[in-house]
Amino acid sequence: MKKYWKSIAVVTGIILSIGTFYVNSAISAENYPELTVQTVNGNAQEMESLIIEGAYRTLSSMNYLGTDLKITAQGSSYNSPSLLDRVTGYYPTVIKELKEANRSFMRGKNLAANQYFEDNQFLAYANIDQKISSFGSNKFNFEIAVLNKADDEVNSFTLKVPAEEGLDHVFLEDVQMLEDKIYLITRNMLIKNDDYNDEKHVYEIDRVSKKLTNHEALVEITPFKANLHTHIQLVEGSPTAATEQIIMVKTEDTVMEDTESTRVTDSKKEIVAYNLATKEIETINVPNLNFEENQLSFVKDSTIYFTRVEGQELVITPYRLGASQVEKDFKIQLHSTTENDHPESLMISVKEDRLYAVSRQIDSNSNGEVAVVDIQTGKLLFQGQITLGNSSEKHEDFEIYMHEIYVKQ
Amino acid sequence: MKNYLKLVNFEFNRIAKLFAVLLGITFVMQMIGVIVKSRQYLNIINENVFEAMMSKAQFLEQVGQLSFIDIARSIWFIAPIAICAAGIGFYIFLIWYRDWIGKNTFAYRLLMLPTSRLNIFYAKITTILMMIIGLVAFQLFLIPIEMSVMKAMVPDEFRHDLTVNDLLASWPELSIIIGSSIGEFFLYYGSGFLVVSILFTSIILERSFGWKGIMAGVSYSVLAIAVWLLPLFLQEFVLHGFFYPIELLILEIIMGLIVLTASIWFSRFLLMKKITI
Amino acid sequence: MIEVIEVEKSYGRKKILKGISFTAKKGEITCLIGMNGVGKTTVLNAIMALTPINKGKILIDGSPLDKTALEKITFIPDTITMLPKMTIAEAMEFMNDFYTYWNQERANELLGFFRLNRKDRISSLSKGNAAKVNLLLGLALDVDYVLMDEPFSGIDMFSREEITNVFTSHLIENRAVIITTHEVGDIEHLIDKVVLLDDGLVTKEFSAEEARENEGKSVIDVMREVYQ
Repeated sequence: MKKYWKSIAVVTGIILSIGTFYVNSAISAENYPELTVQTVNGNAQEMESLIIEGAYRTLSSMNYLGTDLKITAQGSSYNSPSLLDRVTGYYPTVIKELKEANRSFMRGKNLAANQYFEDNQFLAYANIDQKISSFGSNKFNFEIAVLNKADDEVNSFTLKVPAEEGLDHVFLEDVQMLEDKIYLITRNMLIKNDDYNDEKHVYEIDRVSKKLTNHEALVEITPFKANLHTHIQLVEGSPTAATEQIIMVKTEDTVMEDTESTRVTDSKKEIVAYNLATKEIETINVPNLNFEENQLSFVKDSTIYFTRVEGQELVITPYRLGASQVEKDFKIQLHSTTENDHPESLMISVKEDRLYAVSRQIDSNSNGEVAVVDIQTGKLLFQGQITLGNSSEKHEDFEIYMHEIYVKQ
Repeated sequence: MKNYLKLVNFEFNRIAKLFAVLLGITFVMQMIGVIVKSRQYLNIINENVFEAMMSKAQFLEQVGQLSFIDIARSIWFIAPIAICAAGIGFYIFLIWYRDWIGKNTFAYRLLMLPTSRLNIFYAKITTILMMIIGLVAFQLFLIPIEMSVMKAMVPDEFRHDLTVNDLLASWPELSIIIGSSIGEFFLYYGSGFLVVSILFTSIILERSFGWKGIMAGVSYSVLAIAVWLLPLFLQEFVLHGFFYPIELLILEIIMGLIVLTASIWFSRFLLMKKITI
Repeated sequence: MIEVIEVEKSYGRKKILKGISFTAKKGEITCLIGMNGVGKTTVLNAIMALTPINKGKILIDGSPLDKTALEKITFIPDTITMLPKMTIAEAMEFMNDFYTYWNQERANELLGFFRLNRKDRISSLSKGNAAKVNLLLGLALDVDYVLMDEPFSGIDMFSREEITNVFTSHLIENRAVIITTHEVGDIEHLIDKVVLLDDGLVTKEFSAEEARENEGKSVIDVMREVYQ
């Protein structure tokens, strides 16, 4: 045995050291805070179809990447750092369900929700293939695939993006379908007179003839002009859902540039709507509603939902496009200790006749809000608090940022 | 099996000295690193807080706390890891060539042992693996000790304590060596095992066919790696993302196992039929 | 019986063995004689599957060179096959560890016979003693066939005598021995069969005893005839 001692010692050392390390890290990995939704009032059943998606991170660790998490009525689940989870990916629920339902169609496609469109008949996908060359002749192609759910037929084709003077980058922001037409809403970056210009562009493609039938710029801006900073943002409902109206918010900030910082002195917002069917573009004026106070939070069908916080209440104001005035607003009493006074502190989502509101941020010291409202009657159906499940357990200081509300069918 | 274990033990005893030297270098250099870096930091505290009368809060805001990552990123910490890696890389070749080259041709004895010649291959690759994983295990054992040395030297308020997992999370390059989960550990070292087996096959090719064998060995390595990574190339250049990540991982594991089997089978054939003393 | 049948071997373009055949039987000492570089060592290496052959066959008791066949042979190359840093005792222990048919008694006997010190390191041995250790390690295996490559080359007179004595001892009784040499002088009277190699071919294969009795010629006499 004497001559074997070295090997035995080394093998024992390896097993002990590596074993201890992985056992320890397995134990400490489970140490994420457990979050549950406590009912404050209403019917907890309303929470069942809800999946709240966010990212968790601790303040002390130097791990800048957050850990994805999902909160449901059953509690919280984290994307464990295990290899399998990282390889299979922890996708947003939208993508996960699309993948499960259409495994073969989803092959080789980018898994970003805004690149998909889904209704009862079709699942459409678009992507922009860019070949950037250093000589200024960038080439862009649309890659389009449409799955007809009735016969499982996939129709895929590639189209050249019509050349535009100075086209530098094209970003796909949304895919829509109306009858036989596919609409791609993009953000195009152009170089004009040595300036970067930003525009929202729509491309209309015929699904049957596989041809580009129309395209036009919706809004064009110069993002930085002297002390005027401008940006346009596409406001969406759920990323794969159908809508006839493309809603954009144009923000113009007048800024003061000091030596060390820039300060916004004035901010002007404008809502622009584009109707895919009529191809009409219009600036929307909502009577008696101040866009600076009221945040455009959600778009569903032809209704825009604005939110603002008044005292301890979240006020949601729906506005139907083309109407002469806003509809009756809903109020949700807020309970949590978070600073909710900013209109962006809660996000909302509407599905069928339910409106869901969830806090954007939770941390070690504050709870989050969840509320479900019937949009027909304005009645509060459920209200809850996202709280630490086991408060006796000691946790590091953490922050959770919510970014998506997913409502199951 | 018994002969295999005996051979492993024999091979390991032959490298025990080198192994001990590598452990020693790692221990000494990293310990010096911890002490030097902590001292440097303490000196900065002294200069600013005690001599220049800076307040602690101000100091922490400007200089920041000392974290083990500052030590881990220093040359004192990295150099021994690099030395160990180089030593092992060198030894992958030496473990074969030292038996052929020189006055005493131990290769005669090894090849004549009353056991399958493939056991020699297995014993040598196991030894290399033991050495690599042994060094990693030692590093894992050493880091907490180094952290406690730092704790003993630097006062609490100037220190940002990390766990080994935090260290890995904030320094992804290090997790190639350690792997943040046991599954990853097996994948990384499985791949390493495969690469070493390919190199071994190439070395045996050289030992079998001389100059021609070098060419054959290089071609074999390129071919084996290409076959192994074929799904990745296809995914990237031909199929444009056709496979889902999990499928790609499984395919890679299967291809890896195929290439490993081929390498072992080919080495066995060469050792039996083509090897030249 | 070891049968070497029509064996051919080239190194690059150079053909070393051009189809040689001979046999070695148990109880006989077969001597491969030839000039340096004629391929004697290659033949032994080929029998041990330590170098591939291009053509021909080698059979051990009628079966090809597989693991079982190779375990019937002990090969004593002209260099020592142990690590230089080992002591003789460690080398013997190594053999004992790996070979089930290692004969410790015989090894001890040989140790005494050669007057070797088991604590000596192999690296410190004189050429003669190294050859003796090599012989010891090879002969202490209980196998039917013994191959020896140039056991006398570069060895002093006294060592030579001791090694020669092994050939007449019980240590190689009932075994088939193949020995290569380029100078037959010392062992001429010991060998039973001579295989003369030249230019990659067996130029003559004859029984030493028959040559002596029937023709009254020594092995050297026959060699002279052949090579001149």
